Amino acid sequence: MGTIRNEIRRLRFEHGEMTQQELAEKIRVTRQTVNAIEQGKYSPSLEAAFRIAAVFGQPLESVFHYSNDE
Amino acid sequence: MSFREKSAWISLLSMAGIYGLYFGSVIHAGPQASFHFGGLLGTIIALVVVQIVLNVAFAIFAPTEAKAPRDERDKLIELRAMRVAYAGLATGIAFACFFGAFNPPIVFNTNALLFILVTAEILRSACQIVQYRRGA
Repeated sequence: MGTIRNEIRRLRFEHGEMTQQELAEKIRVTRQTVNAIEQGKYSPSLEAAFRIAAVFGQPLESVFHYSNDE
Repeated sequence: MSFREKSAWISLLSMAGIYGLYFGSVIHAGPQASFHFGGLLGTIIALVVVQIVLNVAFAIFAPTEAKAPRDERDKLIELRAMRVAYAGLATGIAFACFFGAFNPPIVFNTNALLFILVTAEILRSACQIVQYRRGA
């Protein structure tokens, strides 16, 4: 089973210390969902992942990384 | 804790508490007692009132969150919980059909089916809470 890691925490910090709530409002999810994504507990839909990447002005692969643990 | 999780807690605790009292009285009355429609109606009204009052009370403290539509994670959690609840419901109904074949009183059947339905609903809320607690 693979793992999806992300750079959201770092990117939030680099974008004026954007809060989870601010990011959540921009991508139209709850703050708890942003927190779950950030901690790798929840894998967002492709659409939400693209929205997150767009908020930070980054390509998708710069925000999310897939590593195959097998 | 998100508003959706609080709502799941309200559902679980109110159903367990209020229906617990109802089924307690049913068990106390014994299997041969006549069906008490008034008792069931009172239970349903009490449940609706308690759930509305508590949900409104929590919504007052977090109005933005309460008004926000469910996001994709909320929907996924709800779907997973529904799947578990359905499995519980189907299993319960299968048992009820099996034991119903031995022709117990209709009161027993009605309350048994209600118990299965309530258990499935409690299971649904419990699954939602577990998933919210885990983060996914």
